[in-house]
Amino acid sequence: MLSYILRRILLIFPTLLGITAVVFFVMAFSPGGVGGPLLNAEGGMKSEEARVRREYYNRRYGLDLPKPVQYLRWLNHISPVGRVTDENGVMGRWAIKWPDLGRSFARGRPVSDLILEAVPITLLLNVLELPIMYGIGIVSGLYAARHRGKWFDVGSSSLFLGLWSIPVMLAGVLCIGFLANREYFYWFPAAGLHDLRAEQMAFLPGFVSGEFQRGWLLDMAWHLVLPMICYSYGGFAVLSKLTRASTLENFSADYVRTARAKGVDERSVLFRHVLANSILPLITVSASILPGLLAGSVVIETIFSINGMGKLMVDAVRVRDRELILAETLIGGLLGLLSLLLADICYAAADPRVSYE
Amino acid sequence: MATADDEFSLLPAGGTIAVIEPLAPEAAPESFSAQMARQVWRRWSAKLGLAWIAVLAFCAIFAPFLANSHPLLMRGSSGWQSPLLSSLSATDVLLLLLLVAAMALVPIKSLNWARKLRLLAWVGLLLSPALFWPDLIDSWHSGREIQWPWGRAAALGFLSAVAAADLFFIVWLPLRAVGGKRAWGWVLAGCLPLMVVFAIYPVRPPQIVVYERYREAQAAKLIHSVWWAPIPYSPNDNQRDKSAQFMRPPGLGHWMGTEEQGADVMARMIWASRIALSIGFISVGIAVFIGVVVGGIMGFFAGKIDILGMRLIEIFDAVPTLFLLISFVAFFGRNLYVMMAIIGCTSWVGHARFIRAQFLKLRRQDFVQAALAAGLPLRRVLFGHMLPNGISPVLVSATFGVAGAVLAESTLSFLNLGLVDQPSWGQMMNQALGEAGTFRWWVALYPGLAIFLTVFAYNLVGEALRDALDPRLR
Repeated sequence: MLSYILRRILLIFPTLLGITAVVFFVMAFSPGGVGGPLLNAEGGMKSEEARVRREYYNRRYGLDLPKPVQYLRWLNHISPVGRVTDENGVMGRWAIKWPDLGRSFARGRPVSDLILEAVPITLLLNVLELPIMYGIGIVSGLYAARHRGKWFDVGSSSLFLGLWSIPVMLAGVLCIGFLANREYFYWFPAAGLHDLRAEQMAFLPGFVSGEFQRGWLLDMAWHLVLPMICYSYGGFAVLSKLTRASTLENFSADYVRTARAKGVDERSVLFRHVLANSILPLITVSASILPGLLAGSVVIETIFSINGMGKLMVDAVRVRDRELILAETLIGGLLGLLSLLLADICYAAADPRVSYE
Repeated sequence: MATADDEFSLLPAGGTIAVIEPLAPEAAPESFSAQMARQVWRRWSAKLGLAWIAVLAFCAIFAPFLANSHPLLMRGSSGWQSPLLSSLSATDVLLLLLLVAAMALVPIKSLNWARKLRLLAWVGLLLSPALFWPDLIDSWHSGREIQWPWGRAAALGFLSAVAAADLFFIVWLPLRAVGGKRAWGWVLAGCLPLMVVFAIYPVRPPQIVVYERYREAQAAKLIHSVWWAPIPYSPNDNQRDKSAQFMRPPGLGHWMGTEEQGADVMARMIWASRIALSIGFISVGIAVFIGVVVGGIMGFFAGKIDILGMRLIEIFDAVPTLFLLISFVAFFGRNLYVMMAIIGCTSWVGHARFIRAQFLKLRRQDFVQAALAAGLPLRRVLFGHMLPNGISPVLVSATFGVAGAVLAESTLSFLNLGLVDQPSWGQMMNQALGEAGTFRWWVALYPGLAIFLTVFAYNLVGEALRDALDPRLR
């Protein structure tokens, strides 16, 4: 097991190298290159100014170097062991250093700061949404499997498949358009995670000078309602179907009949016997869900103007912010690979028959 | 390909079946694919899904006749003419021709469905280069692009090479693929006249289209009588002749309203069905092709190759597809084919896993060993004998894959990273939330519903297929 995990961890490096290389060279070979928008953003410069600026960018980011060299320089920046580089891009001696994700071209801030601001928001959305999705999915899947062929089974299967097919764009746009719009129902805020005045609010709801104030926490919950709806409605279908499929086999298994025959109560049969044995496919699918959630947040974060990883990525791509895109790809890929590994470990932990030797 | 089936399958195909028939007329068992098709067809959900896909296909093929600013028929100063027919593009004509070819193939009894489909795919593949001839001939005549005399000769050589290759492909390959002499005749009879028509009457729509000129001519009484298409607006007709047509809610003139630029939403919806259909089929086609080749080789050889392949699969599993798509599209312009290729090249992993698992099971079975012992080339063992027995799980995953590809395209278009000059459902939805909190429900609801119905239809069909394959789940 340990050697398997070690092998998997070692495999992460070439994979990440491959992914970032693809993205890097896509950007490097694109018409106009990464440097074009930097100059265009300034607009109507005199030729002398443009030349000075181009030289500055070339010195700063090494944009005039051969493209593979540029990629190697980026690798040197992010690796903990490498050559120290100073402000002007001159390589120094070899040393152990702090990995540097660089500075965002367009925003002028360190990429690591931007990402550290965005990751908690995306993670918050995911952490809140996973229990909702798994809870409803597993319960309805179990119920459907127990009452196989009855109306709930048939109805929930079609309903969930329908829900799963609703594109997130449609759900988000309709939610904002009808539930957060002064023309129709203005029940929820349309954008962001906080009210403008949230900084002055108390943490918990309460009465301030005789008037109800919703407080920081409730304000955030209120802002989260619509994004949460859009996040979670689709996941039921897959999980419910999987739970149903895997429990169906076990419901007719010998050990369940034995358990029932010896008088084990139905609740224990359901949860301790059947569910415990059907949990494996749910673990496998969670591995494919996790990276998907990070990517899937692109649309929701854009619609609801939430400054998470997805919106950061789209904004970065629009202005060709090379360092930011590479860092996002690196972190997105890393999270995806780690969740795959985690799922494999959970798989072995949940089922003693599984071994990776 | 086909000859291998003929030599080794238990039931001889084609004409020789007549030998068996008198002996045991009812003995011919239903083939596995026919069984599956019957199982799927029995479910009303699958019927609904297929019906919606058929509606989409109808819209895609007949889009120019359903929504077009060019009148179908009109009588002006120079007599009767049909601006619509002369404005048809190569794609329009190709789609119509494919429909004609499909209709012509249906009544042929001597061919089974698989061969008909294969034949149709060939016809489509081979007619498509023929549609670029007019452009080539045009540039050769005008000499705009090719100034140098040697260039002209090269162009002429290229043209004749394309023509020869086309004739070769159209006549000879289907003959090999189909086998029967009668099918031969049908192919020849169908394709040759079409080629002749193309050579004589090349499709050459005008380059700059002024959509409003017919409406203006009608208003000025220059057109005596006119027959419009059901929706008299092209998808890119921004109605510059009328004032203030932007973002109008649904009404009498425009049943689904107009969008930001003043174009008719319904016309755009109809034309967008082309993108929705093509992106699904082509990208999943690429994915299934890669998946079958990689998974097949892994499953057949097992051992070291399998381990290497699994690493490759793990790597591609971890590629964040949407991120990659977004960066590709943002940096290389909005090209439909690039989008198809990327979706295809990153989503083959699931298909490869299924094929690998199937081939690992199949490789020890007698018929595979027999085929190997008979000295058949590896390609034929893998793809002629093993693949038909292991393809069914991939059919299910491919159907779901089509739904995923449609969603990916509309997501990109929604993020304003999709196509610019062609209408797409996702791109229309992008205009729904305007500035200052206005909400234009008609550009959100109708295209959104179309995306939903399409994805739902493919999912329903995929589910029916899966249940037909795996009866334990029923």
